[in-house]
Amino acid sequence: MSPMWGSVEQYSTIHWSWAIAIYLFLAGLSSGSIIVALLVKWNRHERSNSSIWDAMIKAGAVVAPTAIFLGLLLLVIDLGRPLSFYWLLLRYNVTSVMSLGVLFLLIYTPIVIVFMLLVFERSVIRHPILAPLEGLINLVKSFHSYAKVIEYFLFVAALCVGSYTGFLLSALYAIPLWNSPLLPVIFLTSSLSSGVAVNILVGLLFFKSALNTESIKYLLVLDTRVILTELPLLALFFIGLFYAGGDAPTAAKAALTEGFWAGIFWLGVIGVGLGLPLITVIIALKSHVYRVGYIVTNSMVVVLGVLMLRYYIIYAGQIYFG
Amino acid sequence: MEKQYRLLYDENLCIGCQACSVACRVEHNVPDDFYRVQVHMQTLGIFPNLGMRYERLSCVMCENPPCVSVCPTHASFQSKDGLVHIDERVCITCKYCILACPYHARFVNPLKNVVEKCNFCYDTRVSKELKPACVTTCPTEALSFGDMRQKNSLVHQKSQKEVLLFPKEHLGTKPKVAFIPSRKGVKS
Repeated sequence: MSPMWGSVEQYSTIHWSWAIAIYLFLAGLSSGSIIVALLVKWNRHERSNSSIWDAMIKAGAVVAPTAIFLGLLLLVIDLGRPLSFYWLLLRYNVTSVMSLGVLFLLIYTPIVIVFMLLVFERSVIRHPILAPLEGLINLVKSFHSYAKVIEYFLFVAALCVGSYTGFLLSALYAIPLWNSPLLPVIFLTSSLSSGVAVNILVGLLFFKSALNTESIKYLLVLDTRVILTELPLLALFFIGLFYAGGDAPTAAKAALTEGFWAGIFWLGVIGVGLGLPLITVIIALKSHVYRVGYIVTNSMVVVLGVLMLRYYIIYAGQIYFG
Repeated sequence: MEKQYRLLYDENLCIGCQACSVACRVEHNVPDDFYRVQVHMQTLGIFPNLGMRYERLSCVMCENPPCVSVCPTHASFQSKDGLVHIDERVCITCKYCILACPYHARFVNPLKNVVEKCNFCYDTRVSKELKPACVTTCPTEALSFGDMRQKNSLVHQKSQKEVLLFPKEHLGTKPKVAFIPSRKGVKS
């Protein structure tokens, strides 16, 4: 449709760009890594003394607050009026997923910091530079007896943060590619996937721990399980769109076949993010060779794939309307 | 509801002159390259059997507006007259409403950095019992505006007489802008 006069730019502008894609990734990474850390703490830590599990918890306690802080910073910078962001904290609209997200983040972010301080309690006390923080440390220490309650609370808050980003997009029925009930599930699953990967990576790099083949095998299998859930979920996502009414089938078809973003989906999300790790695991499990190299490559590739999934969903949704 | 506003766009009378769009720009000081209202047109058919298709793009003032339910700060709100407005003071320009709008009616005004759209000229005209700028300017009277509760008004009478189309009706947004489709039928 050509106008007789004037620019049609405003009808095809990308309103949510890379900053939002990265925020969605970071929020997912934060919640995923803390969920994985908590699961390891509850299920693995007590039984096994192998320090890889300890490293996974420490990695989660470092990654989760860092990622959410960077993410929130990006989110505020991306506003058209960053200095007015405080209105988000003063006025709430319960029908807006964005408002609900702000509430979840208000609960989640402080608890994640308390969790970090609890995990690193001893090293924080020992550090001379952090001495002025003694009051804060003592405050956190006084919560020690509630550690388990805090952990349960944090777990639920992390689930909310990990899935709300999906609801944020799926609430928009004007955008066929986003308006799918599967989006929150896909986002949560890929968040867990990136959480596992980044905890392994950070754990290996910064909290050097003796790795035995058994734990490498376990971690690789863990990673594979999440990937094998993600693949059918993505298939269901598109099948759902093809059977949905309105513009959804045309939008879905275009998103899978046309242009740059279709390439990102097949090569980036499916190929690099899901295919490569699967091949790595199959080779490793078949040859019974468990190298640290495998697990490091695997983790980096998984994180990259999750990032590209967020990019793909954000851009393809705004480009392919059907 | 205090009022039941309706804007009718008659495709049979529109000649695509864009006077409505120019009037709107003047009325609201809309910056270059942005539009609160635009009429798109497309030539269809095979020569000599040609026809024009018009499409008016603007805010359709939904009864059930997705931009309002999605706005985190209530900057996008519905007045008691059922019109959808933007409170520029509390708009943080998160652009969530722009993405929620199925009619692509909203944009970021680069001069003020806030989200903007057609408001039926409520502030400058309709609140003073005048008609919107586009309606008064239209040379062919393709646009008519008024309160549906007044039974003798032109909008009410035309609404009774004509076939009305509500854009993207299946979404359940219940627009207050209605279209009278071309009686010559659709060319493809």
